[in-house]
Amino acid sequence: MLALAPYLNLAISGAVQGLVIALAALAISLCFAIARFPNAAIGDMMTFGAYVGVGGQALAAGSIVGGGIAAVLATTLVSVLTYLLVFRRLASKPLVASLIASLGIAFLMRSMLTFILGFDQQTLRVPVSRAMNFSGVRILPIDLWLGGLALLVLAATFLLLFATPLGRRMRAVAADMQLAQASGIRSGRVMIALWAVVGALSAAGGIMVGIKTVVTPDLGWDLLLPAFAAAVLGGLGSPVGAVVAGIGLGIVQELASPWVGFTYKIALGFVALIVVLLVRPEGLFGRPELVR
Amino acid sequence: MALLRVSRREWAALVGAAMIAAAAPAWAQDVYRVGALNPVTGAGSTYGSGMQKSIYAAVAEVNAAGGAGGRRFEALAEDTQTSPEPAVLAAKKLIEVNKASAILGTWSSSVSLAIQPLTQGSNTILMHTSSAPTLFSQNVRNLGWGFQSGSKYNGRAMNAAVKNEGFKRPAIMAFNNDAAVGNVNAFKSAYEAEGGKIVASVVYEPKRTSYRSELEKVVAANPDVIALSGYLPDTTIILREAYELGVNAKFIIPGWAAGPQLLQALGPEVSEGVLVYESVPDANSAAFKRYSEAYQKALGSSGEDNVFAAQAYDMVISLALAMEKAGPGSDNLAIAKEIRTVSSPDGQKVTSFAEGKKLLQAGQKINYEGASGPLDFDEDGNAVAIFAVSAITKGKYVRSYVLN
Amino acid sequence: MLAYPVAIGTVAGIYALLTLGLNLQYGFTGLLNFGHVAFFAIGAYVSALFALAGYPAALGLAVGTVVAFCLAYPLGLLCLRLRADYLAIVTLSFSEIVRLVIVSEDWATQGTRGLAGIPRPFSGLGSGTAEVAYLLLVLGMVAVAALLTWRLAHSPFGRLIQAVRDEEDAVRSLGKDPAQVKVKVLMLGSGLAGLAGGLYAHYVTFISPEQFLPIITFYVWIAMIMGGSGTILGPLLGSGLLLLFLEGSRFLRDVAPFVSEVQMASVRLAVVGLALVLFMLYRPQGLVAARNRA
Repeated sequence: MLALAPYLNLAISGAVQGLVIALAALAISLCFAIARFPNAAIGDMMTFGAYVGVGGQALAAGSIVGGGIAAVLATTLVSVLTYLLVFRRLASKPLVASLIASLGIAFLMRSMLTFILGFDQQTLRVPVSRAMNFSGVRILPIDLWLGGLALLVLAATFLLLFATPLGRRMRAVAADMQLAQASGIRSGRVMIALWAVVGALSAAGGIMVGIKTVVTPDLGWDLLLPAFAAAVLGGLGSPVGAVVAGIGLGIVQELASPWVGFTYKIALGFVALIVVLLVRPEGLFGRPELVR
Repeated sequence: MALLRVSRREWAALVGAAMIAAAAPAWAQDVYRVGALNPVTGAGSTYGSGMQKSIYAAVAEVNAAGGAGGRRFEALAEDTQTSPEPAVLAAKKLIEVNKASAILGTWSSSVSLAIQPLTQGSNTILMHTSSAPTLFSQNVRNLGWGFQSGSKYNGRAMNAAVKNEGFKRPAIMAFNNDAAVGNVNAFKSAYEAEGGKIVASVVYEPKRTSYRSELEKVVAANPDVIALSGYLPDTTIILREAYELGVNAKFIIPGWAAGPQLLQALGPEVSEGVLVYESVPDANSAAFKRYSEAYQKALGSSGEDNVFAAQAYDMVISLALAMEKAGPGSDNLAIAKEIRTVSSPDGQKVTSFAEGKKLLQAGQKINYEGASGPLDFDEDGNAVAIFAVSAITKGKYVRSYVLN
Repeated sequence: MLAYPVAIGTVAGIYALLTLGLNLQYGFTGLLNFGHVAFFAIGAYVSALFALAGYPAALGLAVGTVVAFCLAYPLGLLCLRLRADYLAIVTLSFSEIVRLVIVSEDWATQGTRGLAGIPRPFSGLGSGTAEVAYLLLVLGMVAVAALLTWRLAHSPFGRLIQAVRDEEDAVRSLGKDPAQVKVKVLMLGSGLAGLAGGLYAHYVTFISPEQFLPIITFYVWIAMIMGGSGTILGPLLGSGLLLLFLEGSRFLRDVAPFVSEVQMASVRLAVVGLALVLFMLYRPQGLVAARNRA
């Protein structure tokens, strides 16, 4: 048990790092599966959510739940707006047009935040507590809370996708937009619902990262690549996949660190992604019909 | 408020000058232009604005005293984005378009290294706060001046602090960049030269969501102190995680990773007992008070939080005194030569430009003791600072002692 | 007064080379390469290491180009075994792997300390002239690259790559292997990025891993899309436009002094962001539209 503890600690550390980007990965995954382009604005939507969270917490007399609700509401609104104003009009254009526009939206959002608030770091306040120690294996209470939050959000997304009529329509659009339209699904409404979900997930993801780290203007942008990696690895459109892949990549990175060091562990995550894609092109949990 | 008005006037003067500069070269003779090239955005953004405003404040002070060597100062601001490529373009613009004769306040080593060839090629004076050894070895004709003590001095300070506190098992954690790794390496060689041993050493990559594995690797060696050399965001996260994981070792961090934001983010319980080493001005010195007042007015926060701004302020004053010493109409090479002599220890102590100017005009030797320290430059043009150690106590920085 | 436009021109020229390379890959062949900066970095480091070891700049530039060209081969093979829309994430990851290797292998690259004092060619000519000479060198390379692209686009191979972009299945039915075509194009474009990297290293004279972040790749994409992909003139105009956006704000501040330097940085990013969105909404084909595109 004693010799195992350091490795378990590494695995826990990796799992938590995967966990905090899991919701962003999920947002990217759904967006890619249904709106069919890699949305580079999701990183900055996380940042936006985290900043609204900081402001909301201040207004809600220090309540992190209040901050979180404000963040989800505001980011959902912004996300739907980006669809109505920009992405809807680019749906018929090549994927790259939406991708470049999403970069533009990312830059715009970040620049507005920094114009008003500057570049100083902000903090989302949560009570700090000591780790629980199980003969050398340490578990942080805050990580359990974040894990619980991620599970809750994941369950809600799962229910939405697989247990509601709206979810069925979303999945139909993901499988085949034209067929879905031909069978009477109003894709406009489905898309608005999708973008609302994407916004809410981004905000929740931003809050999670903000709690675990500090809130800076680069918060989301810096996590975009790992979140994309998790989304692709998990299989685009698979909610469970995004979360499991994110956590899996985190664990692999940290467990490898005693051998490869703290720089190459990051590279190792990317290598793992490429290797898995070679063996299983649809990703870990991707189902060919969900992804095109 | 007074400063605000001055700086607005300065802005107006600056815009006017930019327009007139091209048209009226004769007018340009009695103006000496300095480019404030600071890390307003990017990794150095915590300090950049303060540096820039301090340069403006010092320029206003020099002009209020009637200018230096018969010339008025004029400042132009640019952002390096803490990145070499935009910094190079900005430096070119300052030197070529705005006719700046000196570039002040480049912050990170990578930016200063990229700009130094330009400034040397055009006989422009470069004053920076970077610590890379190559900057000093490639410095020619006294054109480059480092106002922040280099790695060597930071390492010595850490060593002295660790010794002073009686620690026996130090470990090292460093942010993976030139400056941070350079500092802990200097600490390591200073500590091990005296027969000690560093028990563990980790270099971490920035922008991670957690540094738990890095931390646990260091803690596994059972250190009694961890010399953590990083920047504000990563230091915040690491200190919080160390508390959560119940790490018993003390931390010693550099001043530039501390500041009020760290306290605000961590709260008194988590930050209790963290040691901070930093190069410090004599807080009772007149130069520091003047700088600090200007800083407070311009930025609404304490000048003590931004040591680089104090250095930027001193850059202007040192340069102005050197110009006064070199006399009217001297070229940059003649001015650069005097930067060391106006703050050499054998002169008479002065703490402001006006005071120094008066003595220089009376033909006396002076020793400018700046806002950021005594400004005694070593043979490479690097200021040797005085360091002090503070301990965070009940959510406040409490100065413990000054190192020598 | 001239040196600043010369500097802007040089950097724009380097971006133009990068953009021409990406344009071959995406504009003509449809490859979603988001790891362009990897080959820029490889060219820069190889070229710089050669120059610092005392070899002439021309040799370093040539070797840097060739190394970038060759290293694209394994990446190309790898990517072809993956689904086409994963190319973006895999190449992006590859560029980060390359950067992390540069960070880690400090015995060769000096790690995060970076390589300083890279000699600049023509420095014997004196400060003003040397810069103009270097600009002419960069522009000459851009002209050669543009000419080669033009020749290539109008050759049988050029028609083949455009067919791969537009109708991959048709190419396959003609008995040609689209995969082989893609690998070749990836190599050609990466070679151009390597050349751009070498020119960049000799120009800036200091390189470190933090100069090769994925944002450079995005900038190149932005330049290409704004200029017009699948054309020759487009990438050139797009690179100029990008530099105008990035550098123009410096002059904007000279006329709008009420905006602080911190806010100016935000305005600069906002201008780029807004331009991208507006371009995609109102002129998605870029400034110069390709004639024969579907």
